[in-house]
Order: sequence, then C-alpha cells, then structure tokens
Amino acid sequence: MVVATRSAPAVQTVDVTKVYRIGHTGYPALRGINIKIERGEFVAIMGPSGSGKSTLLNLIGALDRPTSGRVIIDGVDLKKLDEDRLSLLRNRKLGFVYQSFNLIQRLSSVENVEMPLISRGIPEKTRKAKSLKMLSAVGLHGKGSKRPAELSGGEQQRVAIARALVTEPALIIADEPTGNLDSKTTREVVDQFIQVNKGFGTTILIVTHNSEIATMTQRVISLKDGLVDKEEYIQRLDSYSTA
Amino acid sequence: MFKLAYKALIDRKIRSVLTILGITVGSAIILSLIASSAGLNAGIAGNIAKTGANILTIRNAGGFFAAGSTNTYQLSQQDVTYLKSIPGVTSAYPYYSYGANINNGGESIQASVVAIDLVALPALYQGLTLAEGSIPLLGDTTSAAIGWGIANPVSGTPIGLHQMVSMSISGIKGSKGAVSYAVLASGILAQYGTALFANIDDTIYISFQAGSILSKSPYFTGIYVIVDNTDDVATVQNTIETYYSNNVRVISPGQILSSIQGITASLTVFLGSIGAVSLFVATVGIVNTMYVSVMERTREIGILKAIGYRPKQIMGMFLAEAALTGVIGGVCGLALGYALSFLMGGMLAGSTFAGRFGGGGGGGGATIVPVFSTELIVFSLTFPVLLATVAGLYPAWRASRMNAVVALKYE
Repeated sequence: MVVATRSAPAVQTVDVTKVYRIGHTGYPALRGINIKIERGEFVAIMGPSGSGKSTLLNLIGALDRPTSGRVIIDGVDLKKLDEDRLSLLRNRKLGFVYQSFNLIQRLSSVENVEMPLISRGIPEKTRKAKSLKMLSAVGLHGKGSKRPAELSGGEQQRVAIARALVTEPALIIADEPTGNLDSKTTREVVDQFIQVNKGFGTTILIVTHNSEIATMTQRVISLKDGLVDKEEYIQRLDSYSTA
Repeated sequence: MFKLAYKALIDRKIRSVLTILGITVGSAIILSLIASSAGLNAGIAGNIAKTGANILTIRNAGGFFAAGSTNTYQLSQQDVTYLKSIPGVTSAYPYYSYGANINNGGESIQASVVAIDLVALPALYQGLTLAEGSIPLLGDTTSAAIGWGIANPVSGTPIGLHQMVSMSISGIKGSKGAVSYAVLASGILAQYGTALFANIDDTIYISFQAGSILSKSPYFTGIYVIVDNTDDVATVQNTIETYYSNNVRVISPGQILSSIQGITASLTVFLGSIGAVSLFVATVGIVNTMYVSVMERTREIGILKAIGYRPKQIMGMFLAEAALTGVIGGVCGLALGYALSFLMGGMLAGSTFAGRFGGGGGGGGATIVPVFSTELIVFSLTFPVLLATVAGLYPAWRASRMNAVVALKYE
C-alpha cells in the first residue's frame, strides 16, 4: 500500500546524486539535487543536453533509483519501496507523457488509454467508459477506435495525455512533450497541460528546451552539470495560444 | 489479459501461425498415434474375444508360432481322445485347413477352406450366425457353409444359396499341385469379420469328413479344445504342455492378446517418441518466437513499466501469449489429429499385421477405429498449453526484469 501524507509536497528531492558506471569509471549525472514542488504547481525543468534533466525525471518518475539521497513523492520515500510497490506508485500517483508519445501501435486510442486501468483490475465496461470520457476531455471525442498511426502527432500526444490523466494522478511528468510537434500543435498541447493543471489541480513537471513553453509554467528550474543552476518564478498566462 | 495476448498474436500473424503450426503438428502426431494404437489394441482385443477366452488351439510345434522348429510330431485322433479326457475339457474338435482359389465366373477369389465338425462353429466363434440356408449335416461331403465375403465378393457376381462353388485347393500334404474340388453352398454365414487367425468372411467351412477325404491323411492341422470354465484354461493349458513337452504348441487367446498388446505398446512408445520430438522442436520454436517478441517489444515493456505494470503482470502478459499459442495449437492439433488418426487407422488396417489381428466388423478386411478416451482428449488439449507456457517462462521472465529506463530508450 502506498500511503500519502496529505500535507507533503508533490515532489521533494534531498541531496540526490546519480552516478552511471561504465566498467570501473563513474560518470556523475546528478551531483546533489534539492528541489521541492508543491501540489498543483506547474514546473518546467530546463537545461542543456547532459545537464541531468532526463535522469532527474527518471528518478522522480520512480523508474530509476538514485545513487544517494532521497526522492519523496507525495510524502512517500521511494527508497523504502520494492519493485512492486514502485510500480503501484507509478500507477496510482504518476502519469507520463513522452516526446515520442510512446503509444502501443497495435491498440486503438481508447485501448491505449485503458492500459493503466487494466493493471488496476478495473472492469472492462468501467474502464472503457472512463477512457472515452478522458479522450473527450482532451478533444478526441469520436476517435477512440483510431489507432495511433491513424492520428496526427498532436492527436497522438493527446492520447498520451489522456492515458496519463485517466488514473487521476497526483503528478504528471512530461519529457519534451512537444519535441516532435509543429508550433500550432505545440500550442494546443501546452494549452492542454494548462487546462489539466488548472482544471484538475494536477501537479505538472515538464522538461523542455523551449523557453516559450517554460514561460507558461509557474516556475522554471534550470539544471547545469548535474546541479540546480537557478530557479525562476513566473507569472504565467492562462493560455499559450493567447501569449 | 488474454484479449491483449490475442491482439499481440494477431499483430504478428505469420510468425504466430508458424509457431502454432509447429504445436499443431506435434500434438496431432501424438494424438493420432495414441488413438490409432488404442484402436488397434481394442480391435485386437475384440477380435480375440470373438474366439472365446475358454478355447485353446493345439497345433503342431512347427508353423507360425515356432519358426525354424524341426519338430515332426503330428496331431491325430489319439490326441483328440487324450484331450477330451483332461478334466475340465468339454470337447475337442480336430480340423484341417487349406488355402483355396475359387473360380467365380472367370473372377478368382482367394479363400481359406476349413474342414471341421460344423456344429462346433457357434462355440468357436461367438455370435457367428447363418445369413441364409443351413449348415451341412454331419458326413455331408458335398455341401459347405460359405463366408459372407465369398458370397459377396468385391468384384464379380455374388454367389447365391445352393450355387455350386468350384475351387482349387492347395497345401494338401502328399498332393502335387492344387486339387480341384466343388461344393454346394448350402448355407451363407452372416458378416462376421476376423477372429484370431482366421478371416471368417473369407472362409469356406466344409464337414470334417470332407477334409479327411481331401487330405487322405489321419493327421490334422490342429485341434480346438473347449474348456468348460474360463478359470480352468490355464490349468488345462499347463496339463497339455506338460503332457506333450515341446511336441505341440498350445495357443490361448489371452496369451496372444498380451503378447500382441506388448508389441503394439512398444510401437506406440516408439511412434509417440517421434511425435514428442516434433513437439519438443515446436517448444523450442515458441521459446525463440517469444524471445524475439520480447526483444522487439522492449519499448512497449518500458511503457508498461512506466504506467505501473508490476513485473508479475508483465510476466503474466507474455505467459498468456504463450499459453494462448498452446490453446490454439492444442485445439487445431486435436482436429488434425482426429482426421489423421482415421487416415492412420486406414493405413494400419492395410498392413499385414493389422490385417491378421486387427478389428473386426468389416466384411472386406480389418478396419481400425481410433479410440479417443476422455483422458486422451484432455491430455491433447492441456499438454500443448502446458508446454507452451513452460516455453514462454524464460522470455516472460526476461520481459518482467527489464530496466524501464533502458527499455523506454530502445529504438
């Protein structure tokens, strides 16, 4: 059972380091990261290639373990969880959105959205209804039977967002979600994130190279050489499209 | 879980079909071999049962069951008298048997001719009846009861009641070449099939006196001994064997049954091993297919891990795929094996071995009806599933242990 502490921040990292080892040589990717993201925040992580953005995202996403330090999600210290409980935490508290959408090509849109619910053992009828509702919420009403290959890049990313949202997670982790999209679609997708953040109060952590997108968030954390370089609070606009 | 597994199999149609084909063929071979072999055994048991468990056949020591024997002892009326005197023996019927070639209006029919006291026939062959006419009376040397197959030949004109049957009889000791002989068909036997050494439907039964005249010899081909109580058969057999030492061969239906079943059991094990090898090859095929599938779907496994699938759930997904392959292969194997077993039954029925000992029922020769027991059907459906699941264990385990971060980066 993954028990959350109601007053705890959505994400907290304490002196997190990550060293990748190749043979006898160690390559430090993170060298002591301390960040705190409150519930309902929309935060961007920026930084040049090799700064440790993706590594940090993987640690916060409970996909990897730090070499040292602690990662605390919704009050749960990941260090104390075994592989099964980490999976449970990902399913219950986290939603992922990737640059390359990461949809299962042989499944329809609605089946892709259903996948996290299958893992929970939710009955087919309930999960289908919930998934279709979520697809409608991201503007894909009537496209549930389409396979990813039959959808545009923007639509595929919305399916991925619907999949991330369907479990009503506390935190959505988005790794370069607009990296493969044109500017118009990028605007639509970012607007989607803003709506989710405002509408559902979901905490969103987005990694991006795009400074324009970063300005749409509440806070930008910049990484450099595996350390937090600077943090910047922003007065965001309500819609990227109106920026 | 099985719905997802089905979709995964459909996604790789050709590979899935080939894997399933391997299981189908292996399973079908094993099923058809076991069913045909069981059918052959049942046929043999039924065939031997027709002669009655209480009947012993006494023959000279040479011949079919003692190839290479130089024993020259010959059975005569003296032996009949002795055999009748053994406690527990109801009666003893000496007989002559020959090969014959019937001339039926230009068509030639191969047959056997047995000369015996014809009142013994119902006792020797249980359930044997007359289709029409009557059995020749004692001492009647001009009439015969003919088998159903001779009266109704595959080609040529049927032989009717009271019709003259002309034949050339071979194998009569002391005679040079075949002896011409003609009898009146006073009775036609009902369709019966084969029984132990004889195809009753292809036999002409003439009176014992007619046999004596033909043979011009006091020595018989053999003697049938009818024991009153089945429980005494072994004792009587033992008494006869002790009395004659190695001069005669005593054949009991039970003895024949167990030795033939021993042969068919060995045959089943041998042929079953061939089927098992093909199923093993199919299993290796599943391991290969599943392993390749896991490698190809590395990224998908990464996605599943990211959205919270537990290792055992991922393992379950791949095992479900393997099991589903086994289910489809098992069902197809059952259908193919069913068809194949009848084909195999036909082939076995055509062989000398089955022709001599196989199941009765048909007039034109032995037929083998495959036997599908409930256990065999359950086995043929569950074994491929079990095998496929075991074959899927390692690839599924690999999938469940994959590193999520590495898997998500996989191109």
